[in-house]
Amino acid sequence: MTELAQAVVNGLQMGFLYALVAVGLTIIWGLMEMINFAHGEFLMLGMFGGWWLSARFGLDPLLAIVPIAVVMYAFGMLVYQQLMRRVQGGDPFTQIFATIGLLFLLQNAVVAVFTSDYRFVNEGLLVRLGGAKVQLVGLTFAMPLLLAAGLALLIFLALYLLIERTEFGLALQATSEDRDAARLVGIRPQRMFAMAWGLGAALVAIAGAILVNFFSVYPQVGLQFTVMAYAIVALGGFGSVLGTLFAALLVGVIQSVTVVYLPPAFKDAFVFASYLLIGLFRPQGLFGRF
Amino acid sequence: MARIALVIGALAAILYPIPLQIQGTTYYQTVGFLVLVNAMLGVGWNVIGGWAGQFDFAPQVFFAVGAYTAALLYVKLGLAAWLGLLAGVALAAVLCALLTYPLTRLRGHYFAISTVAIWMIAQPIGASWEYIGAAQGLFIPVKAHASVIGAALSLQFAGPTKAMGYYYAALVLFAVTLALMALVERSKLGYYFRAIRDDQEAAEGIGIDSRRYKVIARTITAAVFAAAGVLYAFWALSVFPEQVLELNWATLPIMATVVGGIGRLWGPVLGAVILIPISQIMSTTLGTGPLAGRGIDLIVYGLIIIVIAAFRPTGLLSLPWSRWLRIGRRRAAGAPA
Repeated sequence: MTELAQAVVNGLQMGFLYALVAVGLTIIWGLMEMINFAHGEFLMLGMFGGWWLSARFGLDPLLAIVPIAVVMYAFGMLVYQQLMRRVQGGDPFTQIFATIGLLFLLQNAVVAVFTSDYRFVNEGLLVRLGGAKVQLVGLTFAMPLLLAAGLALLIFLALYLLIERTEFGLALQATSEDRDAARLVGIRPQRMFAMAWGLGAALVAIAGAILVNFFSVYPQVGLQFTVMAYAIVALGGFGSVLGTLFAALLVGVIQSVTVVYLPPAFKDAFVFASYLLIGLFRPQGLFGRF
Repeated sequence: MARIALVIGALAAILYPIPLQIQGTTYYQTVGFLVLVNAMLGVGWNVIGGWAGQFDFAPQVFFAVGAYTAALLYVKLGLAAWLGLLAGVALAAVLCALLTYPLTRLRGHYFAISTVAIWMIAQPIGASWEYIGAAQGLFIPVKAHASVIGAALSLQFAGPTKAMGYYYAALVLFAVTLALMALVERSKLGYYFRAIRDDQEAAEGIGIDSRRYKVIARTITAAVFAAAGVLYAFWALSVFPEQVLELNWATLPIMATVVGGIGRLWGPVLGAVILIPISQIMSTTLGTGPLAGRGIDLIVYGLIIIVIAAFRPTGLLSLPWSRWLRIGRRRAAGAPA
């Protein structure tokens, strides 16, 4: 019983990190209705950024979040303006192909620069906290994961306020609802799309810079996270930021509870099985608005 | 014009290994083998992706089903590869139909993600199922065959003629696939597929059961992948999860289809002829230099796909070749001597 409760608690903490991985896709896919199969590659770039800044300049990956977010915001806008804008109006298939091309390009550009070796971060606050633990009502919380989860939650809340409470967020939602009507009230849709891509890329790269404290990074790390992010966004109901958070927590719990009872290889299988079941029986997602 | 091109192409494909065999460079025959396998897979993927318009991201699951079925039947029961191929294709078709029917409730990229989910679930099953060898997989022992016919009947080529034998085996399977898909393209089935792709509601309006025909389309794709999987297994002499469930078995044929021309019978063939050798040429030219094994070929693939998607999403075959070629000929004829 304690084992199960512990697994649930661990899963919830991972869930906050997954929420940050997925929410960039909530914006690009859920809200702006564009496909991005290179989402995990953005995460991989964030992870590599965190590792490289730490290995080369001794920068704590948690502090590296700032430069990584800025660079990836610009990169996301660039991807939209140079590539996705061209394929936006056409067949949805073309968007899939364009981003698969991007996936190959980014993944292998990183192979070319850094090789396919596994890299680990061995400096920084979370690494130093190492085995530090907190005991609470019979459950153990590992300090690094607890801190990371808290940080992810903070960033997530800031994003929630940005989307729900600011003029920028409202303009984004307006573009998502009705592009032509948005143009009539003075919103430039192209700009909103570019900013959505910038925001999406920056968020997932931030998630990468946090995750690199826990997982090794290698150029092919992205795809599993892409699929997980798609599962989370679909579970959460497209375009719903809070739905994404709940779905990510659920995915974290499913994963860590699965590991208690089944071989670790199956830890993702049940996440995807639940995506299939919900996709078939509740296509609008668990928390969808539609 | 098209018929002449077909005859020339067929002759070139048949004669290709002979000078190489005399010269003793089996390497380029293996390149040819890989081109044919990927062309065959692309032609198969075109049915679900190009005609029925459903993005299937996980046909490699059925590639693996074919490979495992034939390898198991051979290793455990001593059943010949071609019989294994029939069994593998049949099993993949049944499995695909059962798995795909519920998925067809989903449309667009929701369908695409659901196929990826199936692949993600297949991987741990392949890696932990003891009966099929778990992560180590199965090894296919080579049997020496005295005659060419014996080798061809058991799909086991060895020694200096190995590359040539598998090249021709791939050519046969590719030709059969292409001929069958040409029939499908012109049959009622082919028109139903394209009707669903172009406008699902309208297709349903005239009485086409869209879910049923999507299942049929994906089952045809799965059958082609399973057949190629069997060929690959006997070529590689082993089957293990990381090899047959690799994503490249989906991405390379899909890329070939897109580059050549999605929804066109010959599109994947052209795409495979262009794309597959790039990777082989790169690995020979880069040799053991500093950039060897750094995925430069895949960077080039990525760039090609991005350029095609951004500027000509209907692929190279959709370019106005006939007009260009005619103008070229007229100029040549009218040019002053």
